[in-house]
Amino acid sequence: MLKVLIPTLMLAPTIWLSKPKWLWPTTLAHSFLIALISLTWLQNLSESSWASLSPIMATDSISTPLLVLSCWLLPLMILASQNHMAKDPSNFQRAYISLLTSLQFFLILAFGATELIMFYVMFEATLIPTLIIITRWGNQAERLNAGTYFLFYTLAGSLPLLIALLSLQGWTGTMSLLTLPFSDLAPLTPYTSMLWWAACLLAFLVKMPLYGVHLWLPKAHVEAPVAGSMVLAAVLLKLGGYGMMRIMIMLEPLTKQLCYPFIILAMWGIIMTGSICLRQTDLKSLIAYSSVSHMGLVAGGILIQTPWGFTGALILMIAHGLTSSALFCLANTNYERTHSRTMVLARGLQVILPLMAAWWFIASLANLALPPLPNLMGELTIITSLFNWSWWTLILTGAGTLITAGYSLSMFLTTQRGPLPPHILALEPSHTREHLLIALHLLPLLLLILKPELIWGWTA
Amino acid sequence: MDFIMYLVLFSMILGFVVIASNPSPFFGALGLVVLAGMGCGILSWHGGSFLSLVLFLIYLGGMLVVFAYSAALAADPFPESLGSRWVLISGVIYLVGVVVVSSLVCGDWYEVIWVVMDELVDFSVMRGDMGGVALMYSWGGGMLILSGGALLLTLFVVLELTRGQSRGALRSI
Amino acid sequence: MSPLMFSTLLLALGLGSTVTFSSSHWLLAWMGLEINSLAMVPLMARPHFPRAVEAATKYFLAQATAAAMILFAGMTNAWMTGQWTIEMMTHPLPLTLVTLALGLKIGLAPVHAWLPEVLQGVDLTTGLILSTWQKLAPLALLLQLPHGNSPLLIILALSSTLIGGWAGLNQTQLRKILAYSSIAHLGWMMVILQYAPSLTLLALLTYIVMTSSIFLLFKLNNTTNINALATSHTKIPVLTLFAPFILLSLGGLPPLTGFMPKWLILHELTMQGMGTLATITALTALLSLYFYLRLSYSMSLTMSPNNLLTSPLWRLRPHQPTLPLAISATSATMLLPLTPAAFLVR
Repeated sequence: MLKVLIPTLMLAPTIWLSKPKWLWPTTLAHSFLIALISLTWLQNLSESSWASLSPIMATDSISTPLLVLSCWLLPLMILASQNHMAKDPSNFQRAYISLLTSLQFFLILAFGATELIMFYVMFEATLIPTLIIITRWGNQAERLNAGTYFLFYTLAGSLPLLIALLSLQGWTGTMSLLTLPFSDLAPLTPYTSMLWWAACLLAFLVKMPLYGVHLWLPKAHVEAPVAGSMVLAAVLLKLGGYGMMRIMIMLEPLTKQLCYPFIILAMWGIIMTGSICLRQTDLKSLIAYSSVSHMGLVAGGILIQTPWGFTGALILMIAHGLTSSALFCLANTNYERTHSRTMVLARGLQVILPLMAAWWFIASLANLALPPLPNLMGELTIITSLFNWSWWTLILTGAGTLITAGYSLSMFLTTQRGPLPPHILALEPSHTREHLLIALHLLPLLLLILKPELIWGWTA
Repeated sequence: MDFIMYLVLFSMILGFVVIASNPSPFFGALGLVVLAGMGCGILSWHGGSFLSLVLFLIYLGGMLVVFAYSAALAADPFPESLGSRWVLISGVIYLVGVVVVSSLVCGDWYEVIWVVMDELVDFSVMRGDMGGVALMYSWGGGMLILSGGALLLTLFVVLELTRGQSRGALRSI
Repeated sequence: MSPLMFSTLLLALGLGSTVTFSSSHWLLAWMGLEINSLAMVPLMARPHFPRAVEAATKYFLAQATAAAMILFAGMTNAWMTGQWTIEMMTHPLPLTLVTLALGLKIGLAPVHAWLPEVLQGVDLTTGLILSTWQKLAPLALLLQLPHGNSPLLIILALSSTLIGGWAGLNQTQLRKILAYSSIAHLGWMMVILQYAPSLTLLALLTYIVMTSSIFLLFKLNNTTNINALATSHTKIPVLTLFAPFILLSLGGLPPLTGFMPKWLILHELTMQGMGTLATITALTALLSLYFYLRLSYSMSLTMSPNNLLTSPLWRLRPHQPTLPLAISATSATMLLPLTPAAFLVR
């Protein structure tokens, strides 16, 4: 753990001491180095359930993929922000990269924590850097509203979680993830236990987000600068799924009865948010709603608590993290050229940015879960386990898959194919940096086809 | 005996009501006079005649004269006398309130709890209140110095607050 | 005000609180409180403008009422139980009276109305004294009182956190916002007072650190309303960047110092089996968080009319000493790792 944490902390002197000219290259190199070191976590995978143990931190096969993903994402965020931050004063650039770095620091501590309270504190600690990134470096005036929504949705959900965790500590005397699965819960009255169950899950369901409490997410995504959108879609939403996987073990006998409304909401959310995507005009908002839809599938997979459900959820989280982050990068390349998120204003881009169109193609296919990609593996596993749980879910999940394919294709067709409108004839050619950025998103996704057991979780 | 005590207590409440119903300052001062006088009456009825004498002298002789003087300085063109409508109304409300609350709460006040000072002590040469003064000077030296300091501080505070021609706390509005 | 006078008053201010701290007798405690609030009055009226004098007058009236009630409660206690010791005030009648009176002195919710008015009228330094040092003596008394299992404290606490958050929502004046923030924080101190008094002390200390850094920040910035905050970036850029962290720490967001007392208080409340109370108290903190968030929006997260893309080439050096601000701001944000574990282990 410290092998990664200390270099992450050491990014601070790198950021603040390097010359403005070398700021982006050095931080990029440094963070890539950290990402490289973080890959060593993957090799411990199949020996036992917990690895790299220290008194408060450890990795296991659930947290490792997410840890590596969050380490991988920092260099990509730095790479993506380079262009739109170029006009800022150098101290602002430094502050921006520091915030991204602190976000990675908190994320590593959150995913690596073996104490639930530590996890909670770090889960909340990611709020402040994200809030500042959204509200300080977002573009429109609505970003303040988006920041408020983001903060208050998450906090209103997670304060009951704090109380629930503290009372859990009161009953069992421990907060350690290593020992909690083996300790008994004190007998609760039925009413209290229902409240406690809801309090434990609500924070994560808001963070996922579940359909119904998802309103903060499209706002935050649309208003955030590209790095904010990337980290939100790729890692921060996954905090919710990860937290649910961790806390589910503690909620053992209760979930069976209480999970129905939430599974139904999640399934229904797949359909609803997919339909919203179909008629969406705003590119970033479309990608954001597509995240909600995919996360609904993840929530369903976790809530039915079968090994396949967990595996599928984890695979889908990782695959979706890379895919949606890539899509946000692509949307940002459009945005930096046309200064508009409206899809009909930037059509037919294949004609002027042909290689970019190839990236759009791969990313859209990944989003609609094309066969060999991990996205499909995740979705298929979840759909199978949901089908095993109840046959009727197939109607919703099947329709959801269809709608996902529909809006992914329509997004690709709208932005890339067709005639080029005359007002965007003089676009800047795409940079090598952007190609590298998308390639670094999609390469891991493609490579994971070959070795999916890295992100299989406990079944490995 | 009881009758006089009740009379004094009632007049004391009347004094309170006069002040609380917010008339012009001189009428308030009248209420204060009644209040202080009746307070001293209660004290002396309980045997603390020395203490009541001291209080009466300080209160009426010192403070109230200054208060009446400064109230007279701030001339009030439209004084709210005790007979003005709102003063009268609030006074009546306060009185009724006191009567109602005391009849609800203080049902079991009767004569036994009125113990005159020194009545339970046999063969004492000293009067209780005088002895208290002596004790204060002999044992409470530090406290006395502290109280003196506080009084000096109050003097400074008042001077500091009333300083300045038109911007101080005492200004013609 | 002459320097001699000023130092006399400051000395008396310190002396009054010290007398109260060191007393175990109600009369002496009352004297200390009186000396303290008397010395504060001319300090508040120091610019000697009508508004400041008005604030001083209001302060004097509220404090005198509270002090009279404390004296009355102490005497009632002496009359009923025959002794004057503070820790021995066991009868519920004087205990309730004195708790309410001390609540009036520090500005707890049902009797809080003087605090925003007074704080708005005084300058920021006096405001800092008012919201830190002046809270100490009454809280020392509150800590010594033998609260049994009293619902009064819970009522005071909940109404304070609620009103402190609620009434601060529509304020545009910084000192009023800080006054409501003080009310809400005092509510957090009260909610735990009867279960773990040492947590009250901890909450008080962290509150003092956080609020003094925010007062010093506004003082350095010379701002008294939200609109004026927007100019902060051109004056003190680094502190402007840092300000949201201090503000969110006041709001109690996790990795910052402000989370420490809230966490421990919620922990203690749940340990005592009062999960509902803990949840309600925690959710009322969101109300206060909203105006802290608004402050940080207008101070550093937006720059009117648009995001500033240039940094000023030169600026004047601040005339005020910045070291206290540096120390308090650092500790207002970074102290969470120093959370005393003794409160968590039982």
